[in-house]
Amino acid sequence: MKHFCCALLPLAIGTAFAADKTIQETNDYYSRPLDQLLQIETQAKAAVGSRGGERDALDAEVPIDIITSAQLQSTGQTELIRALAVLVPGFNAPRPSIADGTDHAPPFTLRGLNPDQVLVLINGKRLHQSSLLHNNGTVGRGSSGVDLNTISLRAIERVEVLRDGAAAQYGSDAIAGIINIILKGYGQSSQATVSYGRTRAGDGINKQVSVFHTLPLAGDGFVNLTAEWRDRGPSNRAGPDAYDGGRRNTHFGDADTQDGLFVLNAELPRGDTTLYAHGLYDKRRSSAGAFYRRADDERNLSTIYPNGFLPLIEPKILDFSMTGGARGILDSGTRWDVSYTHGHNDYHFYVNDSLNTSLGSATPTSFDSGATRYTQQILNLDLSRKIGRHTLSGGYEFRQEHYRIDKGDAASYMLGAENNYAYGAQGFPGFSPENEVSAKRQAHSLYGDLKYSVSDRLMLDSAARAEHYSDFGSALNGKLALRYRATEDLLFRTSASTGFRAPSLSQSHFSSTGTYRNSNDAAAQFWGNYAVDHPVARALGATDLKPEKSRHFTLGLVYQPAAQLTASADVFVTDIEDRIMPTGYIAGYSLSSLSSQAAAVLAQNNIDGAVYFTNAIGTRTRGFDLRLDYKHDLGNGAKLKFVGAYQRSKTNINTINQAPAVLGVNMTDLILDPFTKVMMEGGQPIDAIKLWSKYSTRDYDVVVNLNRFGKFSSVQAYDKVTFSARWTVDGELAYRVAKDVTLALGGVNLFNVKPEKWGNTDDSLVGLGKVIQYSQYAPFGYNGSYYYLRLAVDF
Amino acid sequence: MLLLMVGLLSLLQAPWVYAGDEERKLEAVFIGRFASYIDWPDKDRERERFVITLLDDNPFGKLLDDLYRDKRIHNKPIELRYANKLEQVGETDVLFITLRNAAARLAATEFAHKNGILTISEAKGFAESGGIIQLDFVEQKTRIKINHAAAVKSGLKIGAPLLSIATVLRGDKP
Repeated sequence: MKHFCCALLPLAIGTAFAADKTIQETNDYYSRPLDQLLQIETQAKAAVGSRGGERDALDAEVPIDIITSAQLQSTGQTELIRALAVLVPGFNAPRPSIADGTDHAPPFTLRGLNPDQVLVLINGKRLHQSSLLHNNGTVGRGSSGVDLNTISLRAIERVEVLRDGAAAQYGSDAIAGIINIILKGYGQSSQATVSYGRTRAGDGINKQVSVFHTLPLAGDGFVNLTAEWRDRGPSNRAGPDAYDGGRRNTHFGDADTQDGLFVLNAELPRGDTTLYAHGLYDKRRSSAGAFYRRADDERNLSTIYPNGFLPLIEPKILDFSMTGGARGILDSGTRWDVSYTHGHNDYHFYVNDSLNTSLGSATPTSFDSGATRYTQQILNLDLSRKIGRHTLSGGYEFRQEHYRIDKGDAASYMLGAENNYAYGAQGFPGFSPENEVSAKRQAHSLYGDLKYSVSDRLMLDSAARAEHYSDFGSALNGKLALRYRATEDLLFRTSASTGFRAPSLSQSHFSSTGTYRNSNDAAAQFWGNYAVDHPVARALGATDLKPEKSRHFTLGLVYQPAAQLTASADVFVTDIEDRIMPTGYIAGYSLSSLSSQAAAVLAQNNIDGAVYFTNAIGTRTRGFDLRLDYKHDLGNGAKLKFVGAYQRSKTNINTINQAPAVLGVNMTDLILDPFTKVMMEGGQPIDAIKLWSKYSTRDYDVVVNLNRFGKFSSVQAYDKVTFSARWTVDGELAYRVAKDVTLALGGVNLFNVKPEKWGNTDDSLVGLGKVIQYSQYAPFGYNGSYYYLRLAVDF
Repeated sequence: MLLLMVGLLSLLQAPWVYAGDEERKLEAVFIGRFASYIDWPDKDRERERFVITLLDDNPFGKLLDDLYRDKRIHNKPIELRYANKLEQVGETDVLFITLRNAAARLAATEFAHKNGILTISEAKGFAESGGIIQLDFVEQKTRIKINHAAAVKSGLKIGAPLLSIATVLRGDKP
């Protein structure tokens, strides 16, 4: 008892002391001039993770980072994915190159987990994923994620990053966390922005023009429109090709990408009801090279390309979503929100400057290689009511998804008579009629959430969500979180939850097969990716995919000794079972112990080898996050703001499922080749430091951003290669030329830091002094310095 | 045992506004500061105390009591009252409204107009629908919206320093 009393005493004293401090600060504010009070920065709010409306991010029971529009803008980036990679620790977005479709809609990861294990919301409503399946050796291999670059940076008010599992509240995908993008809403001013930038090497020219216009409506309603045109020129860091006379014949760098973006966000209040709508639209054209085909390559026709050729993969991507709904409050105090969301992604592959070698001189050089399409529709009803100090929430959601693959033109996939092996469009062979699919599924969800306020200090949050999917069945998940405010300064928070990720339709139904012909064969041979319900995949042991199941635990504290200073620390553990991955290449010559039964299946179907998705492994991701926020009013309108963050996470494979018995191989041989294992456990930076600081006066702002990207690994010739950590420095000076005109000059990676190069290798393309000298997993790319000018005019 | 009781009380006692809740602190401050820039010309309102009433939920905990305990507005000591319903609002100089329903807020502002009361709220659309001062928090900064016509209708005069930092509605347009 004595010890217990002793433990409570400091808390009591601390409480009394902290209460005095709050009164002192409030008294201080009371004595200040009114105009100074308007300059005080209030605490960040977050809507994510709560159905009871916005609450203070630092007072939440789970860790939430808030990225403001000013921070996003000060990065100098024009694409959201790159801006977040600069600002959010644990958010990794390398620059894929020579990775087919992935070059044009790059993936991102959070805490080292896949893009489809991060739920992305727009104004709290689920945003659809891209139809693109990242099918090459990039981060996020085997997943379909949200294409964040379809959202104009200029339309964003803030980004909320919830660093915890939340599938019990939001359903599938919220395993690594949630990114909730809040569009600019009430009280904004219109702004036009023009920016221009280029790399130190002179390429990667980036031109951007945007207009954000706000139209106030009655009752503090608004219609906000953002239009943006963005032209990101290509960069190229390919080295000379010693086998081609030292020519730099390959493109290894950023794709040449143009985006036309449009964003709508509107609210129309009517008494206790508010009608709302928001929408995104992005039309993108992009171009990037495949591997170069030298003049003497068997896949080249020297009559068409005497010096060889670089096939260009040039997709046209259309992505849009629209949400409309109404929310309000009943006389009883019950809040309600009903909405409908329609999202669509159309990823259409075109290949130019190429050929179909097997067609001989009759080949076209441009191809329509087909398309993948994904549509998502969501009907949602949320209810929430405060009962005393407690909040009870619940709702229902219906979701329908539709995934399609459309075939390309015949020349893009066919095997002609002129060459037995080089079929289809070189660079990206088209989808064939056998690959076409139209798959749908529906999901019904019921969920509830109780925030039970034991006292003003102690809050208990419990959530449960039951779902039924038409393809794999049901899922039930729960969450229990606890927030305890020990003193006014000190908050402890912890949560434990379960979660899941429904197998994406692309993982279940993606199919991409090619053909070749041995001279002695009577029939053509097939190879490639097969959907899990394809008869060949079934015969090779494929089953319907099960959902990935996860368990989460976080424990942390927030210490806020003053309104100007906040420190937080959180540890986390995320276990995921039945992670869905593509198998290795199932063929007799690649799997030495492949059963005779499986070999017979391949032979009977004229298949060289096959790949399909399966529930393969379990992983544990552990780590911790540290944050420090400091702001200081220096007087005379000068302010200093500092945000520091450190994140460390490590993923380990801890369980390996049984391989299908019919194959006669173990799962390690089937799935975990050295490349896959290293990419899963070490392919992303083990840690990250972000030190963002801003000094502001009435006339100008200076932003300095210091980043440390931790070490990461890859594989070369079955050997693990580790690339060391790197520091980069970004800086921006924004000068207010006039009251409404700001000119900014900045640089990203000011000291032209490059990632460590590959060492000496036996590979003909990858290695020191060769065509590809950098790892495409380098977390800050390999462009080097980038400088920019930006002019913003408020109107 | 005494220590234990003190400790338990400290753990369960209603605080509060925690140290980082700048919005709440600023709201608390603005209530009194706004009032100091308002002129109540009605001499019949002479009271010994300056009365501030909160209508509906009290989001401030004890903050208002602590802040205004030793303050004076228009050279009067301040009395704080807390009302759950409009019918409980008696004579007051300032009415800070946290009602969630628009109809209830409208009834409160009409009551305030008739009785020469300064109304303040952070509800969206408050100023346009007849409230006098609306507090907004946009991108972590405070904004003030004043319905000047509503103030005139209530017989209140608003000082120029306050008007100069606010968005002023004249009629129903900014």
